Formats: sequence, C-alpha cells, structure tokens
Amino acid sequence: MTTGEQTEHRTALYVYGIVPSDVESDPEARGIGDPPSPITLVKHGDVAALVSEIDAGTPLGKPADLSMHAQVLDATSGVAPVLPLRFGAVVAGEDAVTEELLAEHHDEFRSALEELEGKAQYVVKGRYDEQAILREILSESDEAARLRDSVNSLPEDAARNDRIALGELINNTIAAKREQDTSRTVEVLEGACVALNVREATHERDAVYLACLCEVAEQDELERVVGELAQDWEGRVELRLLGPLAPYDFVVTQQPQG
Amino acid sequence: MTTAVQPSGGGGGFSGPSSSGLADVIDTILDKGLVIDAYVRVSLVGIELLTIDARIVVASVDTYLRFAEAVNRLDIPANDQQKGLPDLMQDMTEGGAKSKTKGALEAAGEKLTDFLGADDDEERQTARRKRRDG
Repeated sequence: MTTGEQTEHRTALYVYGIVPSDVESDPEARGIGDPPSPITLVKHGDVAALVSEIDAGTPLGKPADLSMHAQVLDATSGVAPVLPLRFGAVVAGEDAVTEELLAEHHDEFRSALEELEGKAQYVVKGRYDEQAILREILSESDEAARLRDSVNSLPEDAARNDRIALGELINNTIAAKREQDTSRTVEVLEGACVALNVREATHERDAVYLACLCEVAEQDELERVVGELAQDWEGRVELRLLGPLAPYDFVVTQQPQG
Repeated sequence: MTTAVQPSGGGGGFSGPSSSGLADVIDTILDKGLVIDAYVRVSLVGIELLTIDARIVVASVDTYLRFAEAVNRLDIPANDQQKGLPDLMQDMTEGGAKSKTKGALEAAGEKLTDFLGADDDEERQTARRKRRDG
C-alpha cells in the first residue's frame, strides 16, 4: 500500500478525448489549468488519448476550464476524428491511461474512430426574434389578438388573468412553431449530413436546436443549406451554425458489463 | 485544414459558422460525450467539479407575464422613427425589463465571456494529422 507520500502538488492527467495514434499535438498547445500544461498524446496501438497534466488539488469547472475543454476537442475535430469525453475526466497518470483506458478498450475506440473518419459535429441553433414572432402570432391567432385588446383596455390588476392567458397562448404557440421549424430544418439538413440529433430547447424563444454529424469535406454544402434557411427566415429567426465540433452528441458510452 | 471561426452574433443574417460561446459549450460538454467511469475504474482521480446544472427551461407564470409584457410593447408603430420623449422612456423601460428578465445563466455567460476576453476568437489548432489511413 502506498499512502500519499506527496500530498502537495499531486498531479494527474486530464483526458480530453480519444484520437487515432497518427495525430500529433501542437507543441504550443496548452490545456486546462493555471498555469496550463502542454497538450500531449498518450499512445497505445492505433489509438491515443489527448491529455494534459493538471494539479489534482484544484477544483475544475471555471468558465476558462469549460471553454478550454471544448476548444481542444473542437480544434482537433477539424483535422482528425475524435471521441470526446465528458467534461471532468481525470486519471491518475500515464500508465492508467495506457493500461486501463487505451489497452482495455483499444478495439472499440479504433472502430468508433474509423466510423467517424472525415466527419465532425455541427450545431444548428435558431432563436425567434421576439418582435417578429409576437407579430406573427398576433396576426395568425384571433384569440391572441382578442386577449391583447382586453389587456390593453383593462387596468393592470384586472387584466392579470388575461395577461397570463395571453402569455401562455404565446408560449404554447411558439412551442408548436418550434416543432414545425425543427422538422423543416431536419428535412433541409438530412441530405447534407450523416446523422441528426434534435436537442431539447434551452430557451423559451428557441426556434431550432440540433446537432448533426457531417462530412467535414462537405461543410460548404452544409453552410449553403443552412444559409438558405437563414435567408428564408431573415428577421424572424436568428440562425447560427457552430462547428466543426467534436461529435459529443453521437458517441455513446458503453454499458458496464455484467 | 483550418478551423473556420468567426465571431458569433454578427450584424444580422447568416455569415457562415461561428465559434461556440460559453453557453453553447455548457449545453454540450457537461452532459454529452463519453463518461470516463465507464472505461476507467481503478485510477480515477476525483476532482471537485464546480459546475452546476441549471439549464432546464420551465415555462411558468413568469414566462407568460413576460410574453404579455412584450406584446404590450409592440404597440409602438414600427415605422414611426421619430423619437419623442415617451418613446425614449419606453426604450429605458424596455432596457430595464430586458436585463431583469434575462435568464441567470445567460447573464452569467455574458459576464464570463467578457471576462474571458478575446479567447473565443483566437481558437487555435491544437493537433494535426501526420497521415490519413486510406
């Protein structure tokens, strides 16, 4: 038994993700931590782990940590397939990475990476312009227009129920529009990518939020179709395309055996 | 191959891929990706994580009242460009209400982005490929 001889400045390895072993890290690249250590590769056979040394005594999760985790993986995803680990994966040392992580799961990592070769994740995120979507709803729904008039003609206290009813109607209508606009986006994207994952809305005015797995070489085509959609929705939905990103939405953790 | 990176939130319209802001990152890396404990059991190092999960959107009366208030503000004629005093006051209330009703996380995200400075824009390549298997 070895009990912590060195409790101070105990270092550990932060693991970002798994890549093919022919990837080389940029000697200038730095990872999570203060001061940050270089990003290195721990290799075993055909697979390697993207890691950097961190101080095991410092809590993780500051904004800079989160951004750095994503940045390391996303920058890699443009040049090589990568299996991203969820934020916060820390292992004792290089031996542990080689033996427990890479050797133990070599074949499944290799085949997953082969499947991802040339592909990366992109996120399509659209948000309704508040004024535009409200005008649209008021012009389409007699009930919304009626409630609006009622709210305007009554004193604030008396109109409270109508205000809540109006807001609820708007909220539900936006949800229905979100579903329609998401379906439309899925249709548009289907031809341009390999797989799609519709994400849960995280904002009340989200119009569409989804991740897609596409060929990096066909990014131009993706930009074109998303651009067309954005043009169609100009003034109504602010559409963003993020990527190339690591395929966070398309890797699945194996279930523990037993 | 260079990573196509453009500052997000440009002046309207669509201008190609943009880089991820902190809010985008949080949506992605905290609950997606491979979970290390499924692969490594013995040598895990338990490091305290500061992150919290606060992203769920729950529609509430608060949301409804906010929408109703926004409808109320719509009544200013859209093509009336001349700003009189009432309009200016409207602007002020609008601004006030907006910052008040902004989700806690979103507001925090903005602050943190400020704090991070230009980090988002100078995304760099951290790895390159020696060869590609055919």
